[in-house]
Amino acid sequence: MSAVTLERQFRPIYESLDNGSNKSAVLSCNKLLKKYPNSLLAKALKALALVRLQKVEESLALCDEILAVKPLDEPTMSAMMHVLKGLGRNVDLVTMCEEAYKLQPQNEEYGAQAFFANIRNGNWKSAQQISSKMHKQFQEDRYLYWSVISAILQANDPSTPGNMRTVLYRLAHRLVASSPTPSYLSADRFHMHMNILKELDLYDEANGLLESEVGKVICSTSLACSQTRRDIWRKRGLYKEEGKRARDRISEGDRNWLEFLSVLDGTFTPVASSQGEISEESKQECRESLVETGEFLAEIAQKDGFKNRAAPLALTELKYRAYKLGLYGSSVLVESMADYLAQFGDKACCFEDLKAYLDPDIASSEQWETILANQNLSFASIAHLQRLINVRKLQRHGLSDESMTVEAETARAVNYLSEYMEGLSLGKDLPATELQPSDDLALLSAHAFVNVWTLNGSEEALYNAITVLEFGLTRSRMSFLMRIMLIRLYRILGAPSLALDHYRAMNVKRVQNDTLSHLVLTRALTFSLAATGDLTYPTECLESSQIYLVNAQETSGFVVRAFTAERYTQVRIPEFIEFEDRLENSLQRDVVKMEHVRMRLTHEQLHTDIIDMELIELKFIFDRLHHDNRDFVILPNYQPACQPTFNEQSLMFGRSCGQGWLWSFLKIYIRAFQHASDLDETVEAKLLIGDRPKTSPDPETKLPLPERLAIRKSEEAAELTSEERQLMDWATALGDWLEPHHNYTRPPPHVVLAEAAKQTELKTGSPLRGVDSKALNGNGNSKKDEEAPPIKPVPELVVKFFEDMHSEFKRLLENKCSPSHLLHIATITQEAYILLAVETLRFKTPSVVKIHKLGNLVSMIKDIRQKASSVVKEMSFELLKLGEAENIGDRRSAIAEACTPVTIGQIDNDFILNVVKNIMDSRRKVLEGVAKGMSKLHNTHSHF
Amino acid sequence: MSVLRPFSAMDMFKFNNINLDIWTETYGINFYLDYLARWPDLCCVQEAPNGRMMGYILGKAEGSSTEWHGHITALTVAPEYRRLSLARSMVSRLELVSDQQYKGFFVDLYVRCNNALAVSMYEGFGYSVYRRIREYYGSLGVGKDGRDEEDAFDMRKPLSRDPQRRSVRPNGREINVSASSVS
Repeated sequence: MSAVTLERQFRPIYESLDNGSNKSAVLSCNKLLKKYPNSLLAKALKALALVRLQKVEESLALCDEILAVKPLDEPTMSAMMHVLKGLGRNVDLVTMCEEAYKLQPQNEEYGAQAFFANIRNGNWKSAQQISSKMHKQFQEDRYLYWSVISAILQANDPSTPGNMRTVLYRLAHRLVASSPTPSYLSADRFHMHMNILKELDLYDEANGLLESEVGKVICSTSLACSQTRRDIWRKRGLYKEEGKRARDRISEGDRNWLEFLSVLDGTFTPVASSQGEISEESKQECRESLVETGEFLAEIAQKDGFKNRAAPLALTELKYRAYKLGLYGSSVLVESMADYLAQFGDKACCFEDLKAYLDPDIASSEQWETILANQNLSFASIAHLQRLINVRKLQRHGLSDESMTVEAETARAVNYLSEYMEGLSLGKDLPATELQPSDDLALLSAHAFVNVWTLNGSEEALYNAITVLEFGLTRSRMSFLMRIMLIRLYRILGAPSLALDHYRAMNVKRVQNDTLSHLVLTRALTFSLAATGDLTYPTECLESSQIYLVNAQETSGFVVRAFTAERYTQVRIPEFIEFEDRLENSLQRDVVKMEHVRMRLTHEQLHTDIIDMELIELKFIFDRLHHDNRDFVILPNYQPACQPTFNEQSLMFGRSCGQGWLWSFLKIYIRAFQHASDLDETVEAKLLIGDRPKTSPDPETKLPLPERLAIRKSEEAAELTSEERQLMDWATALGDWLEPHHNYTRPPPHVVLAEAAKQTELKTGSPLRGVDSKALNGNGNSKKDEEAPPIKPVPELVVKFFEDMHSEFKRLLENKCSPSHLLHIATITQEAYILLAVETLRFKTPSVVKIHKLGNLVSMIKDIRQKASSVVKEMSFELLKLGEAENIGDRRSAIAEACTPVTIGQIDNDFILNVVKNIMDSRRKVLEGVAKGMSKLHNTHSHF
Repeated sequence: MSVLRPFSAMDMFKFNNINLDIWTETYGINFYLDYLARWPDLCCVQEAPNGRMMGYILGKAEGSSTEWHGHITALTVAPEYRRLSLARSMVSRLELVSDQQYKGFFVDLYVRCNNALAVSMYEGFGYSVYRRIREYYGSLGVGKDGRDEEDAFDMRKPLSRDPQRRSVRPNGREINVSASSVS
């Protein structure tokens, strides 16, 4: 084909692909292949269209054909890169690019592609070698820095052993030193160079560069370089010198808090460097420098006035440190804090600023309490109101254990609320989108009510807190702090739809899904109505997980761009890769995935396809090294220091779903799915399309899977509720009991493979890759030589679990416990019921039972199932009844009655009634929904 | 007192207290990565000593010949840390880097015309209106403040490379340009 013909022939295919008309692209490719049966490009484009049509098997076959030829022309390679990326076969991609570069070492483009393929795959070492080679060949600085970054990336990889780290940094250092142009030509390279020197403790060399004219200029405008310089000086122990330098900076007008910290560290050098007992001599030396620094800071504070709070706060920090070292008494510190409060009490951050110095003995000292009590508080202006809020927060922070009584806390809550109402007048003219200046008083009031709830366990206090917050939102529509508190409280009360409404109103999007979805998706199964066909929560799970797909698709491309594009700096690359990794291996991602699997089984048929697929995915997750990106700091906390934080108090069931929870549930589900599935490791390897993800360097991941699944750790169990722990024990007992029979009756791998090959052939017309179906057929004997395992009696726990859950359910029902807890027990029981169905799926097939003589086992299973089934039915019935009771007007008025403490200001009876009604409605809906779902599941799984 | 440090990609996991505020947009990951990769020294964070983010600024350098300048793309401070001159210190940092590192002629920014508070704040920092950009925030439609809600002021402040102050003009408020004519 001539170039022109070629172009004419292929253009329509590219156009179809661009337009998403993949079917017509396949047709055009077929046409072309008839004429030119060996056209690699036509094959590659067809493979691409097929991947996009989800026809994975067909695409794979083409892929293998093309890769076997080792393509070398750019269009084919570029199409293949998309195909392989789409199939998740990065290893093949790396091989293809490396081969191409090997065959054409003078082709710069292929070199770059081979480098990127390795970077994308985390093969830092190969990337380093390729870039070194490229640097030698093409003599470009850029490639030298590519290899420097690759060495650093390899050094920072968690799987790199400690001693290797230094070796790699030394390599990076050698490479930088070999550069024909000095690193200081760009601030980025300079920064990278400094970091390498810092890592290797090469302080003299670093100092030489930092002290040079260019070095100084770079540090003056680059915060990053300046930070590295500071770190290096500190590592060298030059605290005094650093303090002096910082002082000069401050005198010149710099108000970066880091400079103030340097001044303070310099001041305390005499006592900081001495080990153990501090000598009187160094104490004296320190006292002198204390006075001097105090004078310096006071001078700056005087000059800045109200404009900047750095110097006054540094003065307080100075006195705090001196107090901690026993150089000053507490009264000096308290006086300094009082000065600070007097000066900056009208700033919202004053409480946060001072909180750091409020050690228990300071907070409860008479001197401090008197200072707070003697503040002249009023509502004269917004500044006055802010001061009042700060004082209230400081007072609340210092409250003692003895003052934590229901009466006292209720009185405080009411008092905060009245002050809130009074403060509202100051913001009455603000536009609707603004926050009211008195908002924090409403938050304080809600905090106090929540504390009352933790003291007496009465839901009424929560109703009060909710009323206050809901009212607050009518005045400050945009207060996300109020919404976050409400989300937590509504979930505790079992009113999930209201929690979800508030969550949606916060407009959480993009990367925030990763850090905030824990607010509504933690243990969402408790409230999921998926069994009835209402897919609200499963959908929420999928939507919040979109960000991970975006990350996988875009961030790595971005890293590549950062390497190539002229305008991109390369120093950021390690940081971007860390970012990508933290999202890719986010704990929340997999907690949500687990939650989604749990919900999925309530509304989809237990089909082996689903079980096989989820098994593979969960096993991948089990190999990951997770990062916890969840944001809990966003939750406000104005509880006294002696109390747990609001976050701790308001966690549903008192437990967070972290790594331990995830690990526990993975163990439950992987084992159950493994039992139900015919896939063993060899079959899985054959059927797997993409690569396996990188496994965590944790040595535990190297253990055989059955051993890993059997590990039980107390710190993991600590994240489970008592019901979840019981579920875990139950699943273990059930699995142990049935495992021998699963292992014995599972068809041998070659039979499974033969079946898979047959299915593939039926679907695609070509046999399964790498499987010789003839060989398989020839050995179709599925009889096992060893003897069938004996059928053991049912472990006691397996049946008793359902009885225990039932009696606990009834006990809580009588005690009028919160619906969320009842729903938790019910959904855990329901989960066990489904897991039972998964674990026994294999023994549902009559032929299996007949061949292996499992009649006895089956009748035992039937027995368990019947008992479980009646418990599920019973719970469903009770929940339905409970839901109906929520609808009774008397109950509503009784609760509204209990909320009289908050009928203050503009909160009237109607408002409260409305809040209560919404909660009741939401509760009724979830109780009835879960009840109906359970009854449906009962029908689905009751027959065996 | 706050720590002024470079914006890091990892800050995307921490900026909720700032970005949940309605006036602060949360963009896609790429947006931040692009800025961090291209203008790392024009993107800074103010952080409280306890590690909480207080506010941040994202900026870029663009334009050709005498239009070469620093641009403030996003400037935001969490509600609880307002009225502490944080914006001023971040803006002056950006001006310093635009001046000494990038050798720009001026720094500019866009602000909604009806945001009187912000306009007067920037005037306090030495910025003045250079032109009015019609329908810059057009997607919102005409709100209760009419044209002021969808139009933007392009405000500028000359740097040391422009001692003659050629990048500003006194009658900027009367100069109207369409949104399509600006980048």
